[in-house]
Amino acid sequence: MSKLQVQPVARKVTAISWLPPRAGTAYTDTDLYFVTGSGAKHKELVLWTTPNPDFAQSEPDSTNDLATVVSKVPHNGDVQGIIALSPGLLATASSTGIISVYNVGTESGSMEFGESVTAHKFSNGEVAGATSLAVQPTGALDVEVASCGEDGRIAFTALSRLKESQGYDVDSTVITDLCWTTPTQLAITTRGGQIKIFDRRMPSEILAAFANSQSSQALESIAVHPSQPFRLATGTAGGSVLVWDIRDMRQPIIEELTVHEANVWQVRFDPADSTRVISCSEDASIAVTQWATEGRGAVALGVAPPERGVRRLSSMFNALSINCFDVCPSTRTHLLVAGSDSGNLLMEKTVNPDFKLF
Amino acid sequence: MQNRHTGTDRFVVSRDKEAVTHLSPGLFPAGRQSEWSAQNRTLIFSIHPLNNKTALAVGGKKTRESLGNDTLTFDQDQRVHICGISTESDSRLAFINDTHAVFVALQQLMEEADVDDSTASAVGIKGLVKMSVLYREAMQRQSRVLADIGDPNEFIKEEAETFQAMHAVWHLLEIIYLTTNTPGLSTSIVPHFMEWLNANFPAPLAEDAHRIAGGSPTADDLARNELLWPYLKKLALRGHVSVLGNMLERLAPSQLLSASAARWARSLSQLCRKMPLSSSEETAGSFNSRWRQWNEELRGHATAIGSLLGGAGEKDESAGGDKDKALETLFAISEVMRGDLDAIAAEGEIWQDIMGATLLYSEPTAQADRLPALVGAIIEQFEESAFTELDRALVALLNHDLAEFLVHCDHIDHWLSAHISDLMDHISVLDICRRVFVVDPREHYLMALGESYLGHEDLWRVGLDYLGLCRTVAGALVMEEYVTRIPLDSDRKAEQVLRVCEVYKLDCARDRIHRQLGRQKWQRGRLGAAIAHFAQVCDHDSIGLICDQIWNAYISSGELTYGPTIDGVMASSSLSEGSGSLLHHERLQFLSKYRDFHELYAAGDFVEAGKVLLSILLCEIAPAYALGDLLVDSIPLLEGDTLVFSSEDTFELMRVAESLAQAHMKQSQQDGAIDRSEMNIFNVACTRNLARSFVMF
Repeated sequence: MSKLQVQPVARKVTAISWLPPRAGTAYTDTDLYFVTGSGAKHKELVLWTTPNPDFAQSEPDSTNDLATVVSKVPHNGDVQGIIALSPGLLATASSTGIISVYNVGTESGSMEFGESVTAHKFSNGEVAGATSLAVQPTGALDVEVASCGEDGRIAFTALSRLKESQGYDVDSTVITDLCWTTPTQLAITTRGGQIKIFDRRMPSEILAAFANSQSSQALESIAVHPSQPFRLATGTAGGSVLVWDIRDMRQPIIEELTVHEANVWQVRFDPADSTRVISCSEDASIAVTQWATEGRGAVALGVAPPERGVRRLSSMFNALSINCFDVCPSTRTHLLVAGSDSGNLLMEKTVNPDFKLF
Repeated sequence: MQNRHTGTDRFVVSRDKEAVTHLSPGLFPAGRQSEWSAQNRTLIFSIHPLNNKTALAVGGKKTRESLGNDTLTFDQDQRVHICGISTESDSRLAFINDTHAVFVALQQLMEEADVDDSTASAVGIKGLVKMSVLYREAMQRQSRVLADIGDPNEFIKEEAETFQAMHAVWHLLEIIYLTTNTPGLSTSIVPHFMEWLNANFPAPLAEDAHRIAGGSPTADDLARNELLWPYLKKLALRGHVSVLGNMLERLAPSQLLSASAARWARSLSQLCRKMPLSSSEETAGSFNSRWRQWNEELRGHATAIGSLLGGAGEKDESAGGDKDKALETLFAISEVMRGDLDAIAAEGEIWQDIMGATLLYSEPTAQADRLPALVGAIIEQFEESAFTELDRALVALLNHDLAEFLVHCDHIDHWLSAHISDLMDHISVLDICRRVFVVDPREHYLMALGESYLGHEDLWRVGLDYLGLCRTVAGALVMEEYVTRIPLDSDRKAEQVLRVCEVYKLDCARDRIHRQLGRQKWQRGRLGAAIAHFAQVCDHDSIGLICDQIWNAYISSGELTYGPTIDGVMASSSLSEGSGSLLHHERLQFLSKYRDFHELYAAGDFVEAGKVLLSILLCEIAPAYALGDLLVDSIPLLEGDTLVFSSEDTFELMRVAESLAQAHMKQSQQDGAIDRSEMNIFNVACTRNLARSFVMF
């Protein structure tokens, strides 16, 4: 079990996101920036900076902090999700059902609240927590953010017309996470243990719904393969990670990886090597799992899976749930930051030998 | 700490409904009780069920005359104040989280050691030392954080003192019960004790050394320095003999010293370097003989300097104090180092000093069991009333009086008493003092600590772990009570609370939380999620009620929109272990089949639709109030072009209709009855269908 470096920050870290590099400085930034969101007593967004390990002059001193605070800004409700839309723009989802936009200036070290909209509400008027948000991968200037919530609705919010958020009731339980599989299609996971696929153009109609017939557990998180939109990874409440191949909509192929002991709060395909799935869990660990051995692809359900490695990351000083993580997309060193309920920032730096810039 | 909220917060302020209260915005000024009652004012409050906060509002009682007839309505309170004493400062958050992680790891380690008996003691002691060091590192980190705060206020200063005290106590316990307590090794406690003394009560300070050595480059400067003599004595007292040797050697060439003082300084410096140090390779006998030899030499020095001092004192009374001072100091040093108890007592400022020097120079091979006798003799010389809690705790620990030790630890800090009693339990020394306490001390202190964390929004999980890891019945009971009171703010938090119940096997609490969540979802109109929660605890009554609500909504609107709700439930039904119980819930099955019927009917598959409808009626899963509607639904199938129902099926339909009619006849009230005319149409349709079925089959 590998060890994560730990920095106590005295607040529950519930969401985390690297800021994309500024245009023209990608791969040459000496300082990297990321944003954390926290909940419970300290509801706020914090902008952090950490030196780019690719340009480290010497071995980092273990007594130094992993990252330093650049600025803080209060947040309305617990931060449930952060999406960095550009180096200067963030969108957040809150436990009060609000989608907010923040402006970030890494050079001036500032972070300011822009505007917000209440996207999620129960039918009796109580606020419903938003559980996640995802930005439509169109590359257009006026991007649209999809969010999901405890009210079983997905809401589409265009950043230029924030107040015109549209909501659609699509599930009777809680929608736990969502992701865009293509620019027009998105997938959600539900507490009822289903994946549902929607078309943005007909958002109130469910294109397809899948459940794991072997052991149907609540699904907590979802991610899409970076280059194969039919391949999804989901984290379950029981601690396993499922890799789905949904090309055959009637009978998806599922590979189950039992990697954790409790709820998998977030799952991602590793941006550096998409044959690996990274997941973090309530059991206070992060797992990097080789879901498919090179060239063999996913294995049909029921067939003995090939040997695969699971690398577990944890820290003795972090006993509680790891809520979120993000992998820096623009460094040669594999740089992963995570946040936990024990009030810690966790970091892992591993030099990735396969990474080739050109 | 006081937060002001406009309107009511999540607390419900209980109020006396008969004495109607009114409040105008703003705070009433503070006043005496008599003034308040003269103005019909009072305070209304409610205590938070989980933490130590209170919701307070000022209420004014209206006189009965001024009330209208609508005595049940009253003005909403304009302002509610949430008052609370924060027991846990945020400055401690990192420390609490760190040590919680160590605590959890320690429990796991001991559990693993317990499972495998053969390695228990080996894993135990090694692991415990490691964990103990981790605890101390966390305390030291916190001390450093507190020391780094510029412009500290009273609270920060107190915290810094508390952490130093906690570290001192912990470190001494570690030395006595872990470091020198390795089975099969008879280790002397002296070097460890000196290390503890110098680490926790630093003297002479490093700054003193810099000031003296740095400001005095030559031997003469050194001899002139007023601070030098007490510093040298302190060095001797604390056992820094090599530093003392170097200082004396540097001092010796000074012209300001008398020839005899210089000679003795040199001689003492050499003696300092020769001080025997015990090592594990050497036998106790060989060390003792070396020690005796060294001690004899010192004794000779002390006597010689003493006689010189006696003679010089008479001769050079007019020569000034400097030379005398040098000789006096050398005499005091040699007296201390030869282990003269009076000299040590005269030089030591605090009892820890005397204890250290006595151990080092008088009993260099002492073991932990020698400590009570020594400490008893030493603290007699001190006024016990001037002792701090730290002193008392340390003395109790040295006396092996563990019950008293724990009580003093608790006075220092709750964190300390909880963790130290846990550690003592793991090294099996807590049993010695268990009978002194009415309740189990480990359980008591851990529970007290856990409860103090529960009210903190960030620490509820940590608090629950402390309650759960008590591993006692009382701990589990208290935990069960608390866990159901944790506010379930979000879906994720609810999952986390349920997970705690699963880990600590709190089945009762789990059921209560599911019911609570079910009701919460029901109120919010999330019927599917509500059913899923009720299904987890097999609450058939609530599921039945929700199904009725869904059916009624369908009847009143005429639109069958509950499909997704049922689907969600069906998908989630297999989440629960008792999934079968949910799927077999009649009402739910009825709704599901009825939806299937509608879908088939809409798709034009009348035969299948008829089969589904008939199966609903035959299985008797439909509630009585829905039977009439089902029969009406069958009319288009009976009257349709294709023959859907066979003669047997038609008889079944007629049987249901007949039993329904009889039930209605028995009831005096006919409010739930179906329309008579619809019934007639049904009867006619049945007859015609029957006739058709005879012809067709």
